[in-house]
Amino acid sequence: MKSSLALRTAAACAILIVMHFTLRPLLAWRSSIDFLLIALVFGSVRIRPASAAVYGLVLGLAADSLSLGAFGAGALAATIVGFSSSWLKAVFFADNFALNIIFLFAGKWAFDLVYVLMARRMLGTEMLVQLVLWTPLAAAVTALSGVVIIAILRPVYQEKVA
Amino acid sequence: MARAATLGGRLDTMVFGACVTVAVVMSALPDQMREPVAGALRRTLVAPLVGLQRGAERWRAAWLESERQTLQRDSVGMQVIRVRALEVENDRLRRLLGLGNRLTWGFVPAEALHTEGRTEDVVTTVTLTAGSMAGVAQYSPVVSPEGVVGLVQTVDPRLSIAILYSHPDFRVSAMSADGAAFGIVYPHMDVTAGRLSERYLLELRNVPFRNELKTGTQVFSSGIGGAWPRGVLIGTVVSEVPEPESWSRTYLVRPAVNPAHVTSVMILTPQRAQQGVGSVWMSAPEPGASARTTPGAGARGDSARADSARARKDSSVRPDTGRERP
Repeated sequence: MKSSLALRTAAACAILIVMHFTLRPLLAWRSSIDFLLIALVFGSVRIRPASAAVYGLVLGLAADSLSLGAFGAGALAATIVGFSSSWLKAVFFADNFALNIIFLFAGKWAFDLVYVLMARRMLGTEMLVQLVLWTPLAAAVTALSGVVIIAILRPVYQEKVA
Repeated sequence: MARAATLGGRLDTMVFGACVTVAVVMSALPDQMREPVAGALRRTLVAPLVGLQRGAERWRAAWLESERQTLQRDSVGMQVIRVRALEVENDRLRRLLGLGNRLTWGFVPAEALHTEGRTEDVVTTVTLTAGSMAGVAQYSPVVSPEGVVGLVQTVDPRLSIAILYSHPDFRVSAMSADGAAFGIVYPHMDVTAGRLSERYLLELRNVPFRNELKTGTQVFSSGIGGAWPRGVLIGTVVSEVPEPESWSRTYLVRPAVNPAHVTSVMILTPQRAQQGVGSVWMSAPEPGASARTTPGAGARGDSARADSARARKDSSVRPDTGRERP
């Protein structure tokens, strides 16, 4: 990846991370958009799997530092999602609308699944409702918002062909 | 090339394994050990983001507070309007109770339901929530504390429909407050375009030329014709309608009742209409909202007059509501 493209991708990720801490509290939806996950997937598919794992770990630890008692759960989930995204992207090697939706939806669901299981804050029915109802809803919202954002950012991260 | 790819793949896997291990270790650490790490992250990497989040949440709180205050202001505004409406309704009901006390017997209280447009069109009929089961009969006078409202036209067991004084078929035999001048009150139909409110005025026609009425003179039902008892206030003379080639006078009368504001009424039973209402409207206490002067004389007592059907047969008697009866 060229350095200018890397910078633009980093800037896009930074914008998404900032949106997570500004736009998300403003919206305050029950199934809110996970801009951190969009930033994670957006960045991971453009770097090597090893870098994506580290990126996920750092992002996850940063997010976990604000949630007492679940430190490490988000980091593990983000590491797995980041690495998987990067690896799957390398396997599929395509950047289209449907693939982005699937990546984001599956990524968010996998993230929440690992987080809920690792954090051990919910049990029984509550956990089932969270994983079967709220998580897919949040994943769908995140996936739809993610593809819109990716479409908007396309001019920023696409390499110009001479 | 293939070797480099294999090495790269191994490196990826190793780094991934290391990251997972770090995450799991962080997760498994006791609180005392992981809190310093989390705290360090909060104070450095996450601090600006937390600042942004704090700002966003303040914005949201301010927006919600503003919305709440707007709703509160709207609610207070609505309550003020409702209180005013309740005051008006309370005043009307008090006056209606006063009328009921003065009438003592022979009346049916009812609510007037407006089925036509109340503000856009001229209201000419109302539905009353009392019917034959309550003692309402056809051609029963409908009155309010202010005076004449209309006449029952159709009676069902539980409902009845009344024409108001603004209806083209409405008539009532009338007299001046001193009982000197007599005439027949008609709705004022000859209204110029754009002055629809004048449709609620009445015309006192066929007043003998020798009887000149001053502006402000009160007009009461005369009881002639029988449908209406003597002494129910109709309205106040506004002006004379110039008719140069006529042998009688015509006056414009401002009705005592605004039909658009009629919500509760009294329906006089036929027995009461025949036996008269005495000086109920003449001795009524002066209401603050709709001041009217008590006449000095006239409208003397009750008089059980002949029914307007009979009156129509006798052409010498001026009839009340001049429409064909079945």
